[in-house]
Amino acid sequence: MKALLKFKKWLLQDLYWILNENFVMKFILIFILLFSINIFPQVDKFRQYQDTTDWQKWGKANYSYQHQEPATSEQRYYSLKGENFGGTILKSFADAYWFFISDVDGDNCSFNPTCSSFFIQAVQRTNILQGTLMFADRFTRDLNLFKLNHYPRVEDGHFYDPVSLYTLNRSVIKITPPESFVNTE
Amino acid sequence: MIPTICLVFLFFSQAFPQKDSSDYFDINSTSNIKKFADYLFCADDYLRAALEYEKYLSSYYNDTVEFKIGLSYSRIGNYSKAIEWFNKIKNNSGFSNDARNEYFKSLFQSGDYYNFRKYYSENIVNNDKIRNLDKLFYFSYFFTDDELPPRNDFLNPFNLKEENKINEFYQRKTNPPYKSVAAAVIMSSLIPGSGKIYTGQIGDGIIAAIATGLCGYLAYDNFKAKHNFRGWVFSGLIAFFYAGNIYGSAASAQIYNAGIQFNFQNDVKLYLNQQNYFTPEYDFCK
Amino acid sequence: MTFVNKIFFYFLFVSLIALFFNSNSFSQNEFQKQLKIQFDFAKELYNKEEYFDAITELKRLIFFDKEKEYSYSANELIGETYKMGAKFSDAIQYFTLAVIHSTNNEELFNSKIEIIRVNILRRTIDRALSLLDSLDSDKRFSNKKIDISYWRGWAYIFEDKWNKAAQEFNKVDSDHELKKLSEQVENSKYSVAEAKILSFIFPGAGQFYTGNYISGILSFGWNLLWGYITINSFIKDRIFDGIVVGELLWLRFYRGNLQNAEKFAEEKNKEISNKALNFLQFEYNGPKP
Repeated sequence: MKALLKFKKWLLQDLYWILNENFVMKFILIFILLFSINIFPQVDKFRQYQDTTDWQKWGKANYSYQHQEPATSEQRYYSLKGENFGGTILKSFADAYWFFISDVDGDNCSFNPTCSSFFIQAVQRTNILQGTLMFADRFTRDLNLFKLNHYPRVEDGHFYDPVSLYTLNRSVIKITPPESFVNTE
Repeated sequence: MIPTICLVFLFFSQAFPQKDSSDYFDINSTSNIKKFADYLFCADDYLRAALEYEKYLSSYYNDTVEFKIGLSYSRIGNYSKAIEWFNKIKNNSGFSNDARNEYFKSLFQSGDYYNFRKYYSENIVNNDKIRNLDKLFYFSYFFTDDELPPRNDFLNPFNLKEENKINEFYQRKTNPPYKSVAAAVIMSSLIPGSGKIYTGQIGDGIIAAIATGLCGYLAYDNFKAKHNFRGWVFSGLIAFFYAGNIYGSAASAQIYNAGIQFNFQNDVKLYLNQQNYFTPEYDFCK
Repeated sequence: MTFVNKIFFYFLFVSLIALFFNSNSFSQNEFQKQLKIQFDFAKELYNKEEYFDAITELKRLIFFDKEKEYSYSANELIGETYKMGAKFSDAIQYFTLAVIHSTNNEELFNSKIEIIRVNILRRTIDRALSLLDSLDSDKRFSNKKIDISYWRGWAYIFEDKWNKAAQEFNKVDSDHELKKLSEQVENSKYSVAEAKILSFIFPGAGQFYTGNYISGILSFGWNLLWGYITINSFIKDRIFDGIVVGELLWLRFYRGNLQNAEKFAEEKNKEISNKALNFLQFEYNGPKP
């Protein structure tokens, strides 16, 4: 208590000296006081923000109002462009089958690609004999009504069963877990 | 005079807490960029954090920031950039060991197992007490077709708790439960559909058997009734289903074996993720 | 004490008060200016379509904005930016934050409408409609019934319920352009049920109804052929042949005929809807999702 009182007496003596006798000190004191207003930063805890993750740069998206077909709906390609002689014959038969029969008898194949498309793709990737054998195996598997848990699915509900699994070339076999969904695009 | 000086000193000590006064005015100051980057890093906004940290580094060198940039890229799967940044950390930095770990981890995660093994073998530090990279080194063999090192060498870096699991993986890699393609073909040749049942496709095997059998009966029945044309049609169908079933059995065995390998690698990756690839967790955000 | 010293002393006293109770006011103005510049910069990036960088700058603004002066506008703009990049879930998240930080009913309503618009765009129409219902029942927005009906109409458009959309636009204005458009679309659509019934009674008729004449003729032809063979087989007591042809061929083509009638009607309707949606997206000048 005594020390505090002594400090107060010194302070008042000093202030009296500054205010009454020393102009320079007065000026310095005002200057310090004025600027000390500006150097008190705000001290505040920063808030927690919920944030999303943008792990890749992205730009404007061109989305459409229109109803879109499911990405994995199979499209029929009737064109004979780019086919060699054998391919033209095969594709012509396929086109005729699709036009006169397949497009009329409804959706009977539970697979994607459909059996006829599978056959075309199988022959294009291998040869007519191996392609026919692959198709025969596919046709047999299509007769199985209990294939629920064996194949992954595509967006429109068909079972995903690509040609690459059956070419007997191990390096192109890409396993997709059954019951998962596949985007064939 | 002394009390006045004390008073002035008090004001100044209050007025300058920790940071540079220029922070207050400029949210794009270097220290504010780092503050913001730290916040983004802890909020998992890694790409933004990395870009902000890179901005910061254009003014100041900071090895922690370099390391965090590498970590950010590693966490978003951009392993080539992660590797680039981990490589920049100098040997005399406090993060050099961690950077080395993360460099090799990124190389591993990028799937470049051969280079991972090659660079690791070239860079083994003598008396290196860190066994974790050794573990990753041996794990890389699970993802390639190279012959595995002897079992004892393989198990050496792992502790007792880990040994059981590693042993299981080792066993699955050296003796995978593959199905024989030849066996499937022979079985289907003898009994249509049996090759498919052997490879686990029971439904398909039964259908193949029924289809072949039914066509056989119909062919026999039609020939017996002197309906030769139909008899030959059904005979053709027998050949169709029979040959298809043999081919399908071979393909089915291959798919089965590919599935074994796929499941094995998935299980290994799951285990590695659970162990964080044998690298420590960092507490930058605590 | 002299007069000058008294003035000086009072000034000192006032400075001390200002120091402790208003020490930040001068620097705060500078800082607010910084934040305004930052917001304008972010907006400029948004206008230049540099969306990723715009969001970075807006997040920087929010991080340093301790007074939360820009919380509403920054979160709103982040939501808009994510919407432009078709990142609808993220957009909704930030519009929700804008709702939380809204300072008056107008801002609150606008943010909620933004959430509804994004739900319409990403086709979670049930969610959009339930949000519209909650706005409708909120007494604070009793003067916003027209806006609510307008966006409900849009929700029905995206749900392909054009008659309901027409009813909602009718509440906005009985002569509203969108009301007329919705009625026009509804009237030009084919009835899927009618197509199926026609094909059920007469194979191929449903396809004729939808304008697919070739498919109709083929369908009719196949059904006629297999139907004749099946019936003929039964008449001639070739029961097994009749069952096989009837089951594997006639039934297959008859079922296909029904499937095609439904499929073609739905395809035509989708075409009509899409044409209208295309007009709305690129040629309609009013507010859109």
